[in-house]
Amino acid sequence: MPNPLASITPVLELLGNHLKILPATGGAVEELQHPDIDEIEDALLNRETGEITDFAETPTPSPANLYRPTPPLFRPEKHLFRFFIDGSLRTYYLATGIEGQRSFPIQLAQIGAAVMERDDQGLVRCLKSEHKVLLLVPTGAHGLSDTVWQQLERLRTPDGFFEPVDITKKTPLTPREPTEDDLRNRAGGIARHRMHQLEIDLVKETDSRRNEDSWLILDGAVKLDDFIRAPYLIGVAKSFRKDPEFRFGRGRATGRLDITSILAGLEFAHRTVAFSAHDGKVAFWYVRLRPQKELDYPLMGVVKVELPRPDGTPVDSDLADLLSRALVAERNVTPYGQDRRWHCHLYPIFLAEQTIKNRFYSQQVLLGAIRWPRPTATP
Amino acid sequence: MAEEPPTRQAIGRTSATEQDPITSDEFRFWLPPDTIVNPFDIVVVDQVSQPGHPPSKTYGLVTSLEHRTDAPNDLANFISSNFGELSEEPNTPRQGTTVAFVNVLSNTADIYMPVPSERLVYFADPEGIQQALGTDTLLRDRPHDAIPAGLIKMSNGASAVAYLDRRYVLGPESAHVNISGISGLATKTSYAMFLIQSILQRASDPEKIAVIILNVKQADLLQIDRRPDQPLPPEQMELWEALGLEPQPFQNVRYLLPRGHNGQANSYPPVPTIHTLYAYDLEGTADKLDLLFSNVADPSGTMEGIYGEIMAGITGHDAEFRDVQSWGALLEFLRRKQSEGGRWRGMFAGSSIGAFRRHLRRIVQTRQTGIFVDSRSRNEKLLSSELVNIKGGYIYVVDIAKMADDEQTLVFGDILRTVYAVKAEEAEDRTEQAPVPEKVIIFVDELNKYAPGGPKASPITQQVLDVAERGRSLGVILISAQQFMSAVHDRVTGNCATKILGRTGSAEVMQPDYRFLEQDLKMAVTRLVKGELLVSHPVYRQPVKVIFPLPAYQQEQG
Repeated sequence: MPNPLASITPVLELLGNHLKILPATGGAVEELQHPDIDEIEDALLNRETGEITDFAETPTPSPANLYRPTPPLFRPEKHLFRFFIDGSLRTYYLATGIEGQRSFPIQLAQIGAAVMERDDQGLVRCLKSEHKVLLLVPTGAHGLSDTVWQQLERLRTPDGFFEPVDITKKTPLTPREPTEDDLRNRAGGIARHRMHQLEIDLVKETDSRRNEDSWLILDGAVKLDDFIRAPYLIGVAKSFRKDPEFRFGRGRATGRLDITSILAGLEFAHRTVAFSAHDGKVAFWYVRLRPQKELDYPLMGVVKVELPRPDGTPVDSDLADLLSRALVAERNVTPYGQDRRWHCHLYPIFLAEQTIKNRFYSQQVLLGAIRWPRPTATP
Repeated sequence: MAEEPPTRQAIGRTSATEQDPITSDEFRFWLPPDTIVNPFDIVVVDQVSQPGHPPSKTYGLVTSLEHRTDAPNDLANFISSNFGELSEEPNTPRQGTTVAFVNVLSNTADIYMPVPSERLVYFADPEGIQQALGTDTLLRDRPHDAIPAGLIKMSNGASAVAYLDRRYVLGPESAHVNISGISGLATKTSYAMFLIQSILQRASDPEKIAVIILNVKQADLLQIDRRPDQPLPPEQMELWEALGLEPQPFQNVRYLLPRGHNGQANSYPPVPTIHTLYAYDLEGTADKLDLLFSNVADPSGTMEGIYGEIMAGITGHDAEFRDVQSWGALLEFLRRKQSEGGRWRGMFAGSSIGAFRRHLRRIVQTRQTGIFVDSRSRNEKLLSSELVNIKGGYIYVVDIAKMADDEQTLVFGDILRTVYAVKAEEAEDRTEQAPVPEKVIIFVDELNKYAPGGPKASPITQQVLDVAERGRSLGVILISAQQFMSAVHDRVTGNCATKILGRTGSAEVMQPDYRFLEQDLKMAVTRLVKGELLVSHPVYRQPVKVIFPLPAYQQEQG
């Protein structure tokens, strides 16, 4: 059986013939993800919302009461969330390439996303999944010359499975100019950005089937390059930035609260009121899925919910309650023992993640495909 | 002959993992939801073949099933129920699948490479089941040797006949059948009778086969030539038909009934109208006295020495025994020897003679059921005289149901010894002109009474061992039954090539006698229901589960 990653062989030959290659120990080294990558991502995507000053809920809540009860609304009673989307990625450091005076990392990423559908019996199946392999290299002053890059681009596969990606490009997850020192981390951000693009593409698969009784949960934020405008969709983040400040009221009545204080007061099966972000284009709130007494830390067992409001209107309290109640019911079952974020993980999202990971090629397959050409002896 | 399932539908895919590889002998497959598969189902998977040939097929027997989920431990499930909340149903049921474990039975191209992972798995069709069991060549090349042994019913509704190879049941390849299982399910005897019926119906030479059946309980087997008063239920008729057999009673049956105290048959009613009474006088029993003492503890061999002297004296017409012509005379003879003082024949002390006499008196006089007579009347025959003239095409039912244990032992030993003699050598007193049947099948229940396990073999055990170990070459075939196989001498069960198991307790099935069963199948044996049996046959690579029809003769329920 041919190696399914055989399409990268000519890429390696091209790079090997034009660059000096210093291969990674063992052929390829998996880049371990930052333990708080979701939180970092939330901070990047919502960097403009460090201070929250407005509610995004109608009727407008009182700053004196930021919580609303949301007892669980189980599937047999109302099956609201029927679609779930998550993505996953694995990044490998393959080699250091040297072209002229420039040395830079050569990395490979497997990215994927899946949309899952849940039927009325609660059984989950994969509606569609995407899987791509990216070669992550810098270009220009920090990397490949235009000549090599153009040749590399010609090796992308027609089906889009393999694609070389220039990691010097700016994205919401890599907002700064590249520097020589952060190229390796930057590749991870670029790969995550591409993974989120796959996720957003998969939203379309559910367009004709989403309605007020049939919602989709996207893992993470609802803003990427732009706001997701699709209706009947929420983003649910397991990890979120812990530094925003909440300030409501005017003049002497102004009250300041940090997120820890707010979430410490959030009881089980309750939500916070909805807050406004991105000039009202996103309404977000927090929901406690699990009792605090069962957990180690007040911020555990809480998810952040984002609802796109493309027209900037506040969300109706009843709708936020409904979504939150259905979300609280998603606490059963949980991937306890399989994921350290079990306390705020939604099981169908976990299944989407597993679906993708199970489709990734193993490191053994990857290593089987990594065959750098032997350097020809110089006379 | 066999019932096809409505459509061929995949029931799962093979699965190999890092921890659990597929091997040449075993594979596993996961089942989609709502698919029903049970232990003992026979499945088929496409396998590689030589270049230029179509894919071969690998058949396997489902031995057990497991349900696996992604929960790493029970605590994860507890927490997943909102920390132990019993009333909440999960919004999303935990991912899980049922995994079936399969033992490889055969491959159509003799390729025993591990089945690849991700292959579709199907229920085997009836033709495939024969291939799986290795009976396809039997049906093709020697159909007359194919003995229906029951119907294999699969979870998809398909069925196929499980055939035994006659050459492994009646010889010459191997022989003997042993049936085990707990009592009360009316299965063991019924199955033995079904199997005998099946052997006789399928035999191209029934006139060369004689059958001796011992009736050990009530009048169960005393009407096997009578059609049942109530016709069999339709489903039973269909079962007979599916097996390709006629639901009919036995023909050419002779009933041999023991004499009772009143000179009439000592049998449970209804007593067959036409029967032959048998009884034992001293003259006809002298050469079988050892059998009478099979159940008497004799650690020093004294009893054996005494009956040896008596047997030799009477059969050799020793002058000392000139007047010993009856049981009473023998007891009187022994009393005299006991009271004479000194040692009889220089070997046996009076006390030993006394002990021997007490045992003999108990057996033939005080506790006897009427079978022992000082002189036989004209209508009372010696069992050995009847059986020495055994004829092919006949079934001899010997009733021992009402007899004492020692008497039953004598009768069974007498049968074995007589048949063995008829088959092994030219019997001098055979008057029957018809040739000696090529095969003599002997069916006995409660074999553990006659051939119990243990280091020292009693005369009757020795007789059973002789038949078990050498009967195959003579054409003497034992179909035996008992509750616990472990209670029978292991050389007897070890020589039974075909083993039939009904429901068996978990303690019993853990005994070494059941080594031929894998652990999963042992557990399955404890779950068998009435009418279900496990058949282990030399031709099969794994035991199969079958059902069989009720007998088509009149049965009296005691």
